[in-house]
Amino acid sequence: MVMHKTQSHRRYLASSRFVRVLGTKRAMEKIVNDFVINVATANGTGSQSSNLIILHSMFEMGVPVSGKNLFPSNISGLPTWFIIRASDRGYQAPGDGTNIQILMNKDTWIKDLEGLEPGTIVIYNEDVKMPVERDDCVLLGMPMTKMARKINPKLGRLIANMYYVGAVAHLLGVEEDAIEKAVKAQFKGKEKAVELNIQAISEGREYANENWDFDCQFIVESRDKDPDTFLIEGNEAIALGSIYGGISMLSWYPITPSSSLAESVINWLPELRSDGDGGSTCAVIQAEDELAAAGMVLGAGWAGGRGMTCTSGPGISLMSEFIGLFYFSEVPGVIWDVNRVGPSTGLPTRTQQGDLSMLYEASHGDTQHIVLIPGTVDECFEFGWRVFDFAERFQTMVFGFNDLDLGMNRWKTSGFTYPDSPMDRGKVVRSQEEMDSIPEYGRYRDVDGDGIAYRTLPGSGLDPILYRGTGHDEDGVYSEDPQVYHDAMARLKRKIDGAREHLPAPVIREEEKKDLGVIFYGSMENSIVEIDDMLEESGLSVSTCRVRALPLHSGVEDFVRRHDRTIVLEINRDGQLFGIIRKEFPAELIPKIHSVSYSDGMPPRARVYSDMILEVLEGL
Amino acid sequence: MLKLNVLELEKSEYTGGKSSLCPGCGHDQISNNIIQAAWENGIPPEKVAKMSGIGCSSKTPAYFLGKSHGFNTVHGRMPSVTTGANLVNKGLSFLAVSGDGDTASIGIGQFVHAIRRNLDMVYIVENNGVYGLTKGQYSATVEKGSKKKKGVANQQAPIDLCAMAINLGCSFVARSFSGSKKQLTALIRAAMSHRGMAFIDVISPCVTFANNDESYKSYNYVKANDEVLHILDYISHFSPIEEVEVPEGEYQEVSLFDGSTLRLETLAADHDYTDAVSALSAIHQSEKAERHVTGLLYYDDNVPTATDTLGLSETPLVELSEDLLRPSPDSLEKVNSGFRS
Repeated sequence: MVMHKTQSHRRYLASSRFVRVLGTKRAMEKIVNDFVINVATANGTGSQSSNLIILHSMFEMGVPVSGKNLFPSNISGLPTWFIIRASDRGYQAPGDGTNIQILMNKDTWIKDLEGLEPGTIVIYNEDVKMPVERDDCVLLGMPMTKMARKINPKLGRLIANMYYVGAVAHLLGVEEDAIEKAVKAQFKGKEKAVELNIQAISEGREYANENWDFDCQFIVESRDKDPDTFLIEGNEAIALGSIYGGISMLSWYPITPSSSLAESVINWLPELRSDGDGGSTCAVIQAEDELAAAGMVLGAGWAGGRGMTCTSGPGISLMSEFIGLFYFSEVPGVIWDVNRVGPSTGLPTRTQQGDLSMLYEASHGDTQHIVLIPGTVDECFEFGWRVFDFAERFQTMVFGFNDLDLGMNRWKTSGFTYPDSPMDRGKVVRSQEEMDSIPEYGRYRDVDGDGIAYRTLPGSGLDPILYRGTGHDEDGVYSEDPQVYHDAMARLKRKIDGAREHLPAPVIREEEKKDLGVIFYGSMENSIVEIDDMLEESGLSVSTCRVRALPLHSGVEDFVRRHDRTIVLEINRDGQLFGIIRKEFPAELIPKIHSVSYSDGMPPRARVYSDMILEVLEGL
Repeated sequence: MLKLNVLELEKSEYTGGKSSLCPGCGHDQISNNIIQAAWENGIPPEKVAKMSGIGCSSKTPAYFLGKSHGFNTVHGRMPSVTTGANLVNKGLSFLAVSGDGDTASIGIGQFVHAIRRNLDMVYIVENNGVYGLTKGQYSATVEKGSKKKKGVANQQAPIDLCAMAINLGCSFVARSFSGSKKQLTALIRAAMSHRGMAFIDVISPCVTFANNDESYKSYNYVKANDEVLHILDYISHFSPIEEVEVPEGEYQEVSLFDGSTLRLETLAADHDYTDAVSALSAIHQSEKAERHVTGLLYYDDNVPTATDTLGLSETPLVELSEDLLRPSPDSLEKVNSGFRS
């Protein structure tokens, strides 16, 4: 998929608006739909609802907006930040700095305040009773807790957060209708909560209006909102995708950030996967650990079902022995990895692309696995169903690779597209007639020349064999013969290699002038437009290539060939995709491919990566 | 003329490949009993799924029921693979073989959770107290004071898998000895007729590493110290008259899920197989006396199975057509519009 960037991509730049408005007090250059809000609160105080209301109300107005939840590994009390960015240019990265800082949390108050650029607007809860010593910033206080307690003494702490929603709405000019819609969506069906929170937001708005003598230069302005669009987390999109992919067994073990994927499947099953007589067409089981979860997927795939589990890096480590057995015994199955920072507990609530090379070669001995890498919520849905087709077609375990940023934050979609092809159940022999039509059938015999053999299912009575990890010949009979083992491994290599051109091709946005190609994948999609624009400010002509699957499609190598220099851009320390490319691409291409890789647990900030790219290019 | 079973199949339809275990291994006798039990019960071989982990015992599915699919999985993790297969195809009869290393050490977590879910399967542990394939290390079921052929006597307390299973609420718990053909065959037949987890711990001497008289799991020791609870007769639902005669003494009858019956002829003290406390007491008393209690220890036919509790479709999930597995285009429109409003 190659798209020429000149039309599609540049329009973001053209739509950036700087409008002159005459204010009541003084003339001021208004900055429309281009700002970053940072909300500092404590975990477990209900601030997630307030933040999502700000996000959704702007989204309702058609303002291009994105939200990032930076939360700790904790249920209550530790600091959490929420970043909301509005950008008519469609930028979704967290942004370079903060334009509006909201201070609610005593514990991070001083540090948050110290880090602000001069001129930042600071909205703070006066009732926290912390010093606000920044004369170079705009300081706007409000007794949020006191006001909230007046409405409801018991829920004061939770409702206090709604006052900053009112304050932000006042400063930016967020429409009341939009706020009301967002509140109703947030507290669906809970009328009392809707009423209470709207009252608090209105009071916050009124207080700001009456007490703050300040004309905010940042404003929101309605855009034509595509009525089809909505925001959704990547994990829920994958869950829905898997339901439309005919998942018949989900086994899972709770681990952040993948639990919400399993829980979404559980939530949607009653509505979408009932057999008409009240029976579910998908079994869900909470396993005793990740080893068992993987084993259950293996059992389901072996018996002819569509089994899936979801986990994060530590879970993949535990599943690795089974992953090798999937590969060697050639049983289909699906494992989603929602990547968080490792190792072990690592930073369990922070994002990273640090599992890629582990997935590609997980387990002992010679292995290689298919990995699907969505970069948008639409692809989360699409790969969510397609992954089962790949698993059954290639008779192997297929990974979906997601990360916390894409999985647990909300992203825009225009609605999910129904699968465009029927389920591909792969080469399964289901009757004696089918069996008779295959010349020289053997469970592991490559009769079609594509590396994929035919299989039969338990219960069918057709060519029963004992599946195992030990060596087996083409008929599935135990063998430790050196040539038999060698040939089996060569066929497996051929089988997975053969998948390359069937897997999702890279998405390429290409310039006519081939100065620089940037190869990236997954959630970096949300920062790449901004990185690209920053690089082009330096006069470079930049094309981008988003990898969507391993093993790599030939389109990636062609992309490298067409460009003078190529950067492989990743959210990890060592450049894991770069390592795979260096190993697999022809030696003559390697000198013009360079790695830029950085990970600190934060969603990728465009400036960090564009600066690093420029630095690498300067050093060449 | 060859004898046929209720499906008019010869016994050879239930045999498997040639064993590669040591000559005289207790496990081969168990394989023969499995063949006998499956044949006598008239189980369609193609409906059986043979499951195992890793170890000497776990190799045996290659030696019986050659007409059945099977999976020799990874060490200690056979229960999870069985769970996945069972959830998507509850129409299969799962017959699993594991060992004391495979179950009582590396696989103890999965053993526990398979019981907790009352997975519908026959779970046989071929228990010899040693790791055979790695050449004779003690396993966790070896008794304190028991000594294998080489090395010092074991000083650690054993894990009694039957006691553990009873404590976990396992619906069918039995212990037997690979040398007790009649008892073991009856128990395997009853286990196959049970719906839910049927666990049989079979003491199976390792002739190579632990068949010396100081080993509590040697042939001589078990023969001399087998505390048999009752004489067992299995009466199949399809030919209840032919198989056994009514004994003269006292007996109890256990009704099994498929309509068959297990008759227990009381030998010594009464054993109440419906009472977990009584079963545990029998185990602990024999352990104290350094003996092995064998027979049906505990039975409860009123425990829902894993698939019962999940509210699944009546039809096994693997048999559902695509229109039931993939919701309609209209439903996706509804999902989308739900998010939009």
